[in-house]
Amino acid sequence: MGLRGHKTAVVSSGLAVRFLVALMGPTYVAFPSHWVRGIVTPTEGGQDGHVTWANASYERIDLARRLKIQAEGITAETRIVLYANEQRSRSFAVDKVVGLIDVERALIQPLPAQFRGGERERLLGLFVESSYIALIANPFWVLELPSRTNVLDVFVLRGSEPRPGEFDSRLCLPSGALEEASAMSAGSAK
Amino acid sequence: MLRTQLRRQPHKDSKGATEARMQHMAVFSVGGQRLAARTEEIGGVMPWMGLTAVPSDTPFVRALVRQEKGCLPVFDLAAKFNRPLQDGEPLCLVVKHVDGPLAICIDSQVPSLHMVARSAVQYRVGNDPDIAGTCIAGEEELPIINLTTLGVSSNRPA
Repeated sequence: MGLRGHKTAVVSSGLAVRFLVALMGPTYVAFPSHWVRGIVTPTEGGQDGHVTWANASYERIDLARRLKIQAEGITAETRIVLYANEQRSRSFAVDKVVGLIDVERALIQPLPAQFRGGERERLLGLFVESSYIALIANPFWVLELPSRTNVLDVFVLRGSEPRPGEFDSRLCLPSGALEEASAMSAGSAK
Repeated sequence: MLRTQLRRQPHKDSKGATEARMQHMAVFSVGGQRLAARTEEIGGVMPWMGLTAVPSDTPFVRALVRQEKGCLPVFDLAAKFNRPLQDGEPLCLVVKHVDGPLAICIDSQVPSLHMVARSAVQYRVGNDPDIAGTCIAGEEELPIINLTTLGVSSNRPA
């Protein structure tokens, strides 16, 4: 299974966003994968509130609690996601990594207007898959950075060629974890 | 022909006048609580598909439900009225809400349609902005729920 193996939901426009989909409690949460730096097991995560991987340190946060999701607790499928951009890095536990998925930009729906509370800051929107509905976490909120408008435009993939200076986060993922994520997503593909 | 039209005109007016004196209401129940709503505020009824929970701070809006290729936000009317949903296969009432289509989980009985005389409808402002008043439908006095503005100005239990 290659590192590039993942489910693709891109149909026509070529504009897509790649997500890492994970289960947190009963909720499928999608993270724009561009800022995913790695996926490690809890035992690799360290005990001091930080995860150090590839000479980078990731402060541990309880993202499930911040999202107000009741997580399952540590199980054999628990993974620690290393998430960072140029300014900030964080790590957080998810109950299960579902896989990587490319979603056509047009298929990403905003959070319906009836949701009027703090969830609008935490969640950018959603997409509907055959077996689940994934809620898209605001990556700026995850990293405790000031948010911005049109957040997803930052993460849009334009065709197969990377933009100048674009950083391909997939290359930095610990290979075992990424292969695992790829295998999971390939396994769940239609 | 003109005469015919002229003859029919009073009939049309009469029918229109009769309809103007009537209000179309749909009656449904949530956790056994019977409610009436104006039919023009209802988009349809479909089988209940199962929920996706959303970690939300918005009162009574904490889930999504699938609809065709998309999904709808769900307003938990049972929670608003502190009513447990009854056993059986619930239905999804699709509401024409001001913020876009909205789903409500209702009891398994298919909503019934009623023509209610305007004189049997009493609109009044109460403590709960989601309740427009009451009407008498099928010899039953029922609260009228404002489906189009559900939850917009109310964020407390009834």
